[in-house]
Amino acid sequence: MFAYILRRIMATIPVMAVVALFVFSLLYIAPGDPAAIIAGDQATPADVERIRASLGLDRPFLIRFGDWLWHVLNGDLGTSIFTNLPVTHMIAQRVQPTFSLMVLTLTIALSLAIPMGVLAAWKHGTWIDRVVMIFAVLGFSLPVFVVGYLLAYTFALQLDMFPVQGYTPFEDGFGKWLGNLVLPAVALAGVYMALIARITRATMLEVLNQDYVRTARAKGVGQRAILFVHALKNAAVPIVTIVGIGFASLIGGAVVTESVFAIPGLGRLVVDAILRRDYPVIQGVVLMFSFVYVIVNLLVDLLYTVFDPRIRY
Amino acid sequence: MSTTTLTPDGLTAAPDLADILPPRKARGKIMMFIYRYPTIAAGGAMLSIILAIAIFAPLLWTVDPTALAPAKRTRFPSEQYWFGTDMLGRDVYSRVLYGARISLIVGFSVATLASVLGMLVGVCSGFIRWLDAIIMRVIDGMMSIPGILLAIALMALTRASVQTVVIAITVAEVPRVSRLVRGVVLSLREQPYVEAAIASGTRVPKIIFKHILPNTMAPIIVQATFICASAMLTEATLSFIGAGTPPTIPSWGNIMAEGRALWQVKPYIVFFPAIFLSVTVLAVNLLGDGLRDALDPRLAKKV
Repeated sequence: MFAYILRRIMATIPVMAVVALFVFSLLYIAPGDPAAIIAGDQATPADVERIRASLGLDRPFLIRFGDWLWHVLNGDLGTSIFTNLPVTHMIAQRVQPTFSLMVLTLTIALSLAIPMGVLAAWKHGTWIDRVVMIFAVLGFSLPVFVVGYLLAYTFALQLDMFPVQGYTPFEDGFGKWLGNLVLPAVALAGVYMALIARITRATMLEVLNQDYVRTARAKGVGQRAILFVHALKNAAVPIVTIVGIGFASLIGGAVVTESVFAIPGLGRLVVDAILRRDYPVIQGVVLMFSFVYVIVNLLVDLLYTVFDPRIRY
Repeated sequence: MSTTTLTPDGLTAAPDLADILPPRKARGKIMMFIYRYPTIAAGGAMLSIILAIAIFAPLLWTVDPTALAPAKRTRFPSEQYWFGTDMLGRDVYSRVLYGARISLIVGFSVATLASVLGMLVGVCSGFIRWLDAIIMRVIDGMMSIPGILLAIALMALTRASVQTVVIAITVAEVPRVSRLVRGVVLSLREQPYVEAAIASGTRVPKIIFKHILPNTMAPIIVQATFICASAMLTEATLSFIGAGTPPTIPSWGNIMAEGRALWQVKPYIVFFPAIFLSVTVLAVNLLGDGLRDALDPRLAKKV
């Protein structure tokens, strides 16, 4: 078991190396002169040269990559072109809102989508099943910012139930923190819920046809116990897999949701950095989010052994 | 065809397939098609309407979508301005209709490009063993970068244009197709008919083009529809946050980005493009769902 965990952790190292190499080499493979584009249209040749030097584009690729990687491994993601602050410092300031949003979204998505999928599989072919499937298609098709604006318009502007925009730190009170985050979290949860509900339904349909479910039913196990104990436990592996893979859409969605609801998180940081062409910040945030994504999927892999004792390493 | 064939020793053989299937005349009719594939019919019809809107935008009582009229800015929807005007006095109705062009161009181009490139990479990966390990590592890495962030990083380094948006989204989508094609190729390689072809000395290019590629088409077409939908969403998202199509071009994401500052008082500027975008993506997704059920009966009625 311990050897397996170690092996899985080791296996993420080459993946992260490729991510780092890719994010870094974007500067070199981009068409045109990135220094000129980052400097903007009003820049003087001296500005362009300054940016070229600060990005290290005047030095050979491999030397520059080694140098950059060494700094990254030591926790230094470079310095922002715009604010001249260390990128790690800027990221650290913005972590809490994004983390809060994601935790709340995950909670909402998991606690609603899994029962929905189970229900749809149990009532397979009925109108309940159809409603869940329609919800899933809508969840995939409605862009996060459209849902966000609809929710904000209805529940904040018209019904005045929640604040329209903004973020209150956790330290300033749980109620305020939650009130600000409910609408963005529900908006963000849409896609994720659609994904999870679909896979839950599909796996449950498969599992409910198994012999052991029939045996459980024959010996008089109640419907709820069959669904949530016998069947759901055996359907868990594909579900946690999609929870891990779908995390990417959660990250992408967070960037937009934060813009709609004016939440000062990492998404806003990236959006502001785009407008200022602050490439080191973009690079740093992309790298960090990819790292989080890899870690989440590593945890999912390790969870397999919990849900399915047959998987032994 | 329907006569029961008698084998030499007098036993009856199984009837031909045609007798089991529904009568031929019932197939091919439009109603029958809608009945059998309701999602394809619905998605296809909705997408055709959007496509017609995009093509015939100049004929649909629109004005120049970029014409400024500062005196008439932020008018609410009325008889003259069906969807109202934005803060520069431009007609939102015309902008939304012309915006359909950008979304469809981006969606279709990315779907085509990503499928072709993904097919190429996937086949190479499935057939050339030493290359496979390298390609799969690169794909693993690329898939660890959330698609939108990858596109943002690319867009920050290039001058914004429709082409660069297409390229940026394609780069983010190719790994998914490559992995799909590689999986199909690897399983096809083990099929008896491919082994037979190899054993009888068929050359590799012929095996790839005659025996492998035709069988990857069904999953690729299904995947391409979903990529088309996701590319439209990504383009709108990129434009919305200011990293997509240049602001001078009316795309749905740009219209929403411009309406963002005013959305609490003039919500219509954001909502009209939002409705069009949602309906278009919904149409493509329905089409994809229907195609998957039709082309892959194993998955039908399940996922």
